[in-house]
Amino acid sequence: MSTKVTDTARIGWGFAAPGLTMLAIVMGLPVFYAAAISLSSMTLIRPALSFTGLANFAQIVSEPLFWNSLLITLRYSVATVAGEFLVGLAIALMLRQVVTLRGVYFALLTLPMAMSPVAVALIWRMLLQPNLGIVNQTLAAMGLPMVDWLGDSGLALKTMIFIDIWQQTSFVVLLLSAGLASLPREPYEAASVDGAGPVQQFWYITLPLLRPVAMIAVVIQLINEFRTYDLIYILTKGGPGVSTELLSFFAYKRAFQGLALNEGSAAAFILLLIVLLITVVFFFLLERRKN
Amino acid sequence: MKKTLLPFALGLTASLWGGSVLADGVTLHALMEDVPETAIIEKMLPDFEKETGIKVEFEKVGYGDMHDKLVAQLVGGQSYYNLLEVDFLWAGEFPAAGWLEDLKPYAEKTGFDTAAFIPSTMELLGNTDAAMPLVPMYNYSMGLIYRTDLLEDPALQAAYKAQTGKDLAAPTTLADYVAIAKFMKAEGKVNGAAMQGQKGDPNAMEFSNYLFAAGGDYLDADGNVVLASPAGETALGLYKEAITTAAQTGALSATLDDTMRLMCAGDAFSMVTYWWMLPQIDNAESCPDVAGKVALSVMPGGHGESGGWGWGIAKNVPQEEKDAAWQFITWVQSKDVAVARALEGHAPVRADVYTDPAVLAKYPFYKDAMSVVESGKSFPIFTYSAQYEDTLGTQVSLAASGDATIPDALAAAASGLTDLMKK
Repeated sequence: MSTKVTDTARIGWGFAAPGLTMLAIVMGLPVFYAAAISLSSMTLIRPALSFTGLANFAQIVSEPLFWNSLLITLRYSVATVAGEFLVGLAIALMLRQVVTLRGVYFALLTLPMAMSPVAVALIWRMLLQPNLGIVNQTLAAMGLPMVDWLGDSGLALKTMIFIDIWQQTSFVVLLLSAGLASLPREPYEAASVDGAGPVQQFWYITLPLLRPVAMIAVVIQLINEFRTYDLIYILTKGGPGVSTELLSFFAYKRAFQGLALNEGSAAAFILLLIVLLITVVFFFLLERRKN
Repeated sequence: MKKTLLPFALGLTASLWGGSVLADGVTLHALMEDVPETAIIEKMLPDFEKETGIKVEFEKVGYGDMHDKLVAQLVGGQSYYNLLEVDFLWAGEFPAAGWLEDLKPYAEKTGFDTAAFIPSTMELLGNTDAAMPLVPMYNYSMGLIYRTDLLEDPALQAAYKAQTGKDLAAPTTLADYVAIAKFMKAEGKVNGAAMQGQKGDPNAMEFSNYLFAAGGDYLDADGNVVLASPAGETALGLYKEAITTAAQTGALSATLDDTMRLMCAGDAFSMVTYWWMLPQIDNAESCPDVAGKVALSVMPGGHGESGGWGWGIAKNVPQEEKDAAWQFITWVQSKDVAVARALEGHAPVRADVYTDPAVLAKYPFYKDAMSVVESGKSFPIFTYSAQYEDTLGTQVSLAASGDATIPDALAAAASGLTDLMKK
């Protein structure tokens, strides 16, 4: 028995080895290299790897702009994921009731998800162009004042959040729809017999049963949102002021405009650690729930 | 089997031999900004190829993508781009990193005359008596483009006189300019100023014009930071006033393209911009609403932002490619080719092109353009200029949006410059 298990495990590892090797080369090596740079004095001007310990991390966390970027990233990620989840859940629940043309609805819903973030940003940049964009032109035609969607420091981040929700919600819809489709019918039938209404059924049956899928959706989207870069780069370059400067953009600027690859890598590593921490906590909660 | 293999082997050998013969011809690869200047040169490339046998390939991208793409190649073992188009903002960084070939020995060896270049265009690129990292390519100094029809409108003239007691005329000081722009927004049914206030390169360049026009500067003659001065406060105060009271909606997120569209559509009185935008706006085909109604002047106050691109040669490429790149540079910047380019709309860097009779006959405003180029002052050029553009742009944006006070923003911009220069 034990020999059989060992053989099976060996065969399993054998099949997994090519994939794992590729992962190690494609993902592991760059991450290791970035880690080495973040602990060194390497810049684009002086490209030598000499060990400096945690000095780059200390430099980054001593800067108010870093904390500003971190705070904005947290606000952005929480707001987008919350929005995507709520809108996505609502759409998934409605789609559950749809019988005819269900495939058409799904096809339409996946369109934004299939677009590259750069294309999405360019489209929205044209739509929201303050003077010639269709949104402000429509407002003007209705006699309403034009709005500076991306140039007002109090509004720019909210606009970015809206655009992100517009694009990413379809992914959440797909995940939650798959989760809803896999729910067993029996608890609903039993609840109906006991006189439970739709709201009670949703609250006490659908939501608890959907929790694992929902948590997966939230984790995946949180990871995505923490890494958002394209939208900022195309739409605002982090402005006005620093009102939309996410941590990923901060790291990019430090590495390529500031020529400090070491400090840019340190900032990127802090971002990676935050994402890892969130992932670990969510999976811990998920496992505990399962057990 | 042997019979079938023999012709195959011979064919393979022949094709490999032929391939290596073809590979002997050098091909120049250049990453170019996707602007009219590039298109003008691109049209002339067949002439150069016919003359020299050297093939030239341009890869055109937006400005925002250029720096990172170039840096990625220049830090590697061998750069794909052997012929370089380098912005003046990188003229401190690239030589400091050791990425550029010194072109002075090439010029001496081939007798290339650098005296023909306007001195400010040479200084802008960090060229000294000791070294020449870049050869001037084209100039993009900034000036004021404004609508003459609005200034000459009798109703607006009367209203302006009644409001201010002054005649409505082309402004001669920065304060006058902002006052007229505000008036046009209120009374002229147009935006007073089409402004590019997006943080970073757009607003840093635009603000520099205000700074120089107000009599301020970034550095004094000894290289000390003098940005946080009364003139600096006046400049930033007027910049904020222009953004909030004279510019278009959305000026704080606008770029050069946005300002161009506004001006072209006849929706703005003025724009502080690159002088070579004039022929594009004063064009009956592309901008029929304003063609014949626009003029160019030096920035009110006497000085605007100077700017320009240079040709460089990557250090990490084979010598034969370096020699071919130098051959191209001397060809494209020669008097004859520069005049031919100017007749197509090129922004010259050679003084003799601005005074060329054929050029002046086609573009009389090149006389004013030369004044703009000659009077231009430079953004601080040092290793971290590109990063400083972002630092300055952030503070200007914060001040213009009301999220920071003028003195605080100016002090932060000045200390940012001091820190980066010490780095």
